[in-house]
Amino acid sequence: MDKVGVITSFIHNIVLLNIPLLYGTVGEIVVEKSGSLNLGVEGTMAVGAIFGYICGCFADSMVVGILTAFIAGALFGLLFAALTVSLQANQNITGLTLTTFGLGIYFFVGNGLRASGNWPTISESLKDGFSDISIPLLSDIPIIGNGLFSHNVLVYLGIAIAIFMWWYLKHTKFGLRLRAIGENPAAADSVGINVKRSKYLHICLGCGIMGIGGYYMGLNMSGSFNASCWINGYGWIAVALVIFANWSPSVAIIGTFVFGFFNTLRVAGGSLALAFPDFLGWLADVPTQLYQALPFIITAIVLVVTSIKNKRGRSGLPAALGLNYFREER
Amino acid sequence: MRFHIVKRDNGPFWQRCCYYVVAVVAALAVGAIILASIGVNPFEYYYKMFTMGTVGNKIAYKTFMNYLKEFVPLVLTSVALSLAFKMRFWNIGGEGQFIMGAIASAWVAFQFGAYLPMAVTLIFMCLAAMLAAGIYGLVVGALKVKFGTNETLMTLMLNYVALYVLYFIGETKADWNFFLQADSARPVFESFAEIAQFPSFSLGGKFELNITVILTVIIGVLVFFYLKYTKQGYEIGVVGDSANTAKYAGMKVNKIVLRTVFLSAALIGLASAFKVGTSGVLSTSVTNDVGWTGIIVAWLAKLSTPMIFVVSMLICVLQHGSTVAAVSFSQVDSSFANMLQGVILFLVLVADFFVRFRIVRVKKGGND
Repeated sequence: MDKVGVITSFIHNIVLLNIPLLYGTVGEIVVEKSGSLNLGVEGTMAVGAIFGYICGCFADSMVVGILTAFIAGALFGLLFAALTVSLQANQNITGLTLTTFGLGIYFFVGNGLRASGNWPTISESLKDGFSDISIPLLSDIPIIGNGLFSHNVLVYLGIAIAIFMWWYLKHTKFGLRLRAIGENPAAADSVGINVKRSKYLHICLGCGIMGIGGYYMGLNMSGSFNASCWINGYGWIAVALVIFANWSPSVAIIGTFVFGFFNTLRVAGGSLALAFPDFLGWLADVPTQLYQALPFIITAIVLVVTSIKNKRGRSGLPAALGLNYFREER
Repeated sequence: MRFHIVKRDNGPFWQRCCYYVVAVVAALAVGAIILASIGVNPFEYYYKMFTMGTVGNKIAYKTFMNYLKEFVPLVLTSVALSLAFKMRFWNIGGEGQFIMGAIASAWVAFQFGAYLPMAVTLIFMCLAAMLAAGIYGLVVGALKVKFGTNETLMTLMLNYVALYVLYFIGETKADWNFFLQADSARPVFESFAEIAQFPSFSLGGKFELNITVILTVIIGVLVFFYLKYTKQGYEIGVVGDSANTAKYAGMKVNKIVLRTVFLSAALIGLASAFKVGTSGVLSTSVTNDVGWTGIIVAWLAKLSTPMIFVVSMLICVLQHGSTVAAVSFSQVDSSFANMLQGVILFLVLVADFFVRFRIVRVKKGGND
């Protein structure tokens, strides 16, 4: 491949491989802004993936797939909300179990269908639906044009959701109320905000968005089901990315590309080293595990730095994150 | 008609037990419905799972020995986690601490195993694992104490850092990498079973009891007494209930937090030394998810040490039994155990609610 082509495909892959992170992250931001720490992103994305994929294939429609993935994720959110908001269960435990449970369902359904020979294969028309759509003019820019502005429809949807959620949280009445609940639910309650309803709604919405991210992974793997889950840790990286993005959906877009950059180097580092042996040759010597660990290392550093700075009150961390709100205890 | 919820005192012991038994039975019923819906007879499946296929099996003793190999790391990790949880310190870094301990103990085995007597090697392996895991946990504790860094998220991140360190060791062929077999072209972990392995004792017949099982029970008893009858154990509970109360009572809260986190993580390290010292080889899946499952176990057991032993036994039966049953029921994947585990915990959380609260109908026109 020519040198320009290597760079273009590298940029293209940064977007293509990592948009599920954006879905997971934006979903988790919406959930966390309501003051709930849902550690079940991995499991929620997994159920979104498996049910979205199966229903999408049987109906041979991407829209059905997206909707199913959203509903599956939202139902997981409903489970989380019912247990933690209404029944006052511990959020860490509930979230972690959601992951175990979700991955359990994923493999149970997937392996079950494969054992009985009913595993659906992805149709050509569905594959076409997932193929790249070039944005006119922008995609003609040399080098970066095809990398950034020629992608499948779920990429555009993901970015649209992120921008919408940024606007929603920052500039609407409902967003303001949600943020108030995440900071101090008792205060929000006392000015007449329906805390419970808002929490339920946004937890389900956020988890639904994660579910679509899972569906994306399934499509991107062309539905090849094997021993490692499609989500393969993306849910956990999303939890990390929320912190890196300082709880802002717009920063999450940038964060996705930063984390995605390292993630893609893991896959494409070798071809970059081959194309530019003089000044990128050293890339071939970097252990791939370093790229995999980097998102978590960076986030750990961000966590420490923000906690040091937090005393000045500039962090987006919702103050009531992880704490259940029990109305009778106001 | 409107309802609201009110806290209530703990009911009688038998009543609370009832709630939890109902929850577990309901969870099994949910599992049975799922099984029936895919055309599997739930009674046959459950029978196979809960007996782990040992009935009428000539090599049943082997099943029990394998079962105990899974049981020891899980129960010890869970006991360790319960120490931190009692203090409301959310150590979800069991996976990472376990991995660090495993690497440290394997390192000792490779470096010193050839020169030292096996018993000494094993003791050093345990100590190294406890130190490595303990420090890995202590870092988070120190950050929490010093800067208020969120320990849930921090331990979570460190889990993956540790995991990829393990992958790096397990996948990199190099001269320095003594963890791998030198003469294999593919990266394969070298075994050290010959130079360091915890011994087993025959109890008459073919069943052999590994010494780690006995040690685990002893540690369980010690932790139980530590939490219940020592000053340090008492302090953990007070800090967990309210750090401010502890402060006003003159306790050095920071010291207690650091000490307990170190102890919790170090015990997880010991669990990993037991695991590595029994199997005699590292593996990229050395944790077998005990860091995650241990959290669920500790919570299901209400952080009570004796109950952690009981719940661990049951969860291990689920996990081990489902792999055994998957052989005869090809359409039921062994991940059924994880699903069932999830349903059990969710329903126990529901039961928790009814133990802690009661629902009161709001009278018309009145405030209660």
